[in-house]
Amino acid sequence: MSSDARSIRASYPLGFHKPDKSVFRTPKGISREVVEAISYYKNEPEWMRRFRLQALMMFEQKMMPTWGADLSGINFDDIYYYVSPADRKFRTWDEVPEEIKDTYEKIGIPEAERAYLAGVGAQYDSEVVYHSLKRQWEEQGVIFVDTDTAVQKYPDLVREYFGTVIPISDNKFAALNSAVWSGGSFVYVPKGVHVEIPLQAYFRINAANMGQFERTLIIADEGSYVHYVEGCTAPIYTTDSLHAAVVEIVVKKGARVRYTTMQNWSSNVYNLVTKRMLIEEDGFGEWIDGNLGSKVTMKYPSVILNGRGAKGEILSLAFAGKGQHQDAGGKAIHLAPDTTSTITSKSVSLQGGRSSYRGMVKIINGAKGSKSFVRCDALLLDEISRSDTYPTNIVNEQDVTLGHEASVSKVGEQQLFYLMSRGLSEAQATSLIVNGFIEPIVKELPLEYAAELNQLINLSMEGAIG
Amino acid sequence: MSQQIVVKRDEERFIPLLWTGKETELGYEIVLAEPGASVTFRGLLIGRSDQNLALDIKVRHEAPNTTSDVVVKAALSDMAKTDITCLTTVVPGAKGANAWLAAHILLLSNKAKGLAIPSLEILENDIKAGHATTVGQPSELELFYMMSRGLSREVAKQLLVQGFLEDIISTFPPALARRAAKELAL
Repeated sequence: MSSDARSIRASYPLGFHKPDKSVFRTPKGISREVVEAISYYKNEPEWMRRFRLQALMMFEQKMMPTWGADLSGINFDDIYYYVSPADRKFRTWDEVPEEIKDTYEKIGIPEAERAYLAGVGAQYDSEVVYHSLKRQWEEQGVIFVDTDTAVQKYPDLVREYFGTVIPISDNKFAALNSAVWSGGSFVYVPKGVHVEIPLQAYFRINAANMGQFERTLIIADEGSYVHYVEGCTAPIYTTDSLHAAVVEIVVKKGARVRYTTMQNWSSNVYNLVTKRMLIEEDGFGEWIDGNLGSKVTMKYPSVILNGRGAKGEILSLAFAGKGQHQDAGGKAIHLAPDTTSTITSKSVSLQGGRSSYRGMVKIINGAKGSKSFVRCDALLLDEISRSDTYPTNIVNEQDVTLGHEASVSKVGEQQLFYLMSRGLSEAQATSLIVNGFIEPIVKELPLEYAAELNQLINLSMEGAIG
Repeated sequence: MSQQIVVKRDEERFIPLLWTGKETELGYEIVLAEPGASVTFRGLLIGRSDQNLALDIKVRHEAPNTTSDVVVKAALSDMAKTDITCLTTVVPGAKGANAWLAAHILLLSNKAKGLAIPSLEILENDIKAGHATTVGQPSELELFYMMSRGLSREVAKQLLVQGFLEDIISTFPPALARRAAKELAL
């Protein structure tokens, strides 16, 4: 291992990795054969095979984005597109291999939470190996399985919605995901059902040079409610890794979906994710999106407000450290009258990191009475870091209210001085101020995430001063 | 047409713009090249019929203690359209820079369209930077109040537009302010 890699490993507390024990994997690179092999191995119906092949064609035609972060480090020929860690799926926690449990142990999933894990989809490498649904949800008719299983067990439901919110032609990385996707969660909540306990999925990528292409589809039928929580933490590799996920969510009339992500990829991962929600009449969709790790993140969770009275909210948090570029933000498209969107973005740049807010609000003609408010705040902790704001506001309707505000600042000398006069060290005082700055988003997170985030920020702050 | 403006040491530059859409595109590249340079930009865009007003403003803070204050307001009627793109850049070392950027668009007709992209690129931390955008229409409540006092809807609307633009017009030199008033009275 080079000394570079060693120093990364030393600086990244979760940077361990397990020896690779995969059962089936395609050769490096992407081709028609690879895509066919994935589909064949998964024993997929013909329509999915065709969907993948069509997506592959689209992927080959699409250009790399010419805006945003630098993606020149991605070599599509040097990536394994499919790796399966085990041949069978486990129904109960006891049956999960020791090695995988051990991985969770190190991430620090608390003992008390293990009870919840009965309903958790745990993703290890590209495959969901563990999936079990709590009995109460089964009784309510809630479907929570990995997307591969859903294709086999609920083909009609999957086929009806798959690729409808994010078509394969949307962008190069959505096309790539559509061609080689594997794993991810499929959630269906029937009419009027409220899922009280958040559905959680833990993701983990483990084989060096292996990309992860999970595909999540959530359908909340009329009047239902679900909170989906996804957390990611990845071990360190010595070469670059690609994560290109697609998340599609359908929020039907009067339904509410909240999707929380806390991503802490190790600092060599390209994280290029397409996330979108289609919200119908009186529906309410929320994205809570935290981006801490990775080398490059390009992620703009979107809400498409497609019915009268639909509401969308996006809370975005970006934390750009050494060598990182967080290009995050949100999009709100108002297609119907009386729709409301709120985007709140908070970003922190330190140690030469760069964070960019890139967002769009579009209100079409006829979306009368629409309201949109966008607020983005950035904090720059040192002289070598960078912060950008690129908001696009397009309004084609007169009867609207749109507001956008942004500010960029540093940690106030006065605040620091005050805290230090009370006996805190400069690092402690700074992390306290940073934690206060991101508080509006942290308070929306599940408790364990909030605690973890707090810890991570304190960790990042060490060595940030002086 | 793009104008390049370089502001020197301790110079305070004021740039007023009254644009009624005779040109289709206007661009400003403002460079705050030396310490203490400051620029105040006040733009007034009045769009009618099918005019398309594309305004592009770039401000670069290249020296310490430089200040930029850019405010653009647009009032659009009929099928008028505006594209306001602004980019404020603060380069490393431009300590004590203070950048403010605001774009406010008032839509007076349902066929009018507004697009605003106020971007910031900040590469220095010892600065203050902010921007704001609003898009909206004259408030029904305020219109109703004035109409209840005997004004016609048209006159009430015109008064509201004048009020909206007043803080820009009041900074204009007298000749330009008179021209602006004349434009609005039409």
